[in-house]
Amino acid sequence: MSEWTKKSPLELEDYVYKEVRVIASEKKEYRGWLLTTDPVSANIVLVNFLEDGSLSVTGIMGHAVQTVEIVGEGDHRVREKLTPLFMSGDCAAYSP
Amino acid sequence: EAPGSQECPVGQQSQESREQRARAALRERYLRSLLAMVGRQVRFTLHEGVHVTAHFGATDLDVANFYVSQLQTPIGIQAEALLRCSDIISYTFEP
Amino acid sequence: NNRRTVKAPTERPGELRQAEMKRLYGDGAPKILAMETAVQLSFDKHCDRKHPKYWPVIPLKF
Repeated sequence: MSEWTKKSPLELEDYVYKEVRVIASEKKEYRGWLLTTDPVSANIVLVNFLEDGSLSVTGIMGHAVQTVEIVGEGDHRVREKLTPLFMSGDCAAYSP
Repeated sequence: EAPGSQECPVGQQSQESREQRARAALRERYLRSLLAMVGRQVRFTLHEGVHVTAHFGATDLDVANFYVSQLQTPIGIQAEALLRCSDIISYTFEP
Repeated sequence: NNRRTVKAPTERPGELRQAEMKRLYGDGAPKILAMETAVQLSFDKHCDRKHPKYWPVIPLKF
């Protein structure tokens, strides 16, 4: 367990849409745009834009996260690409 | 504590509701990312250098288990399986 | 009386959960609760039907 799991939602929100480098257990290293961090499990969801225009999504388990470092500020173009991700469809099914 | 930052009830309330809004937004996006993973081929990196791929099916509320199908393990295919979140370091999929 | 205090709280877990959700998510609580319920139901449905076994059998890490 690291400091990461103790962060408040407002602290976690500061990382959203930023480019981050995550060091995890067993010397694993991940880089990508941070879409969200689950406030319950501290799991991080990163997005990478691939050469062919497609996306790759990586989840890193909160218990395995050692450090998270911001390496780049997201600009509005990144934000525009990330904001609608997963937000379309099924909305009605989960509205109270 | 910053000097002179006397908290009034209104300030406290808005701090609390800001926190609630942030928590709800983060959680909703996370749950949606899980839903987007349903039916996808997912690559899991587990502890001890173990890598497996599987079709993601579902996860439980506390996100303590991943239900997957067609799990390709180093020793063969298991039609249905539960992966423990505590065994997992990361997972990757293409939405 | 003792028996009643043990039996009575059948509806309490739900209420406690709702209060807890409200505390955590404020106005967003009903939506998050609905999404979580859907996620959990899907998991339960799969497990009831398929009875998946843990892989690996013994945890890699505790």
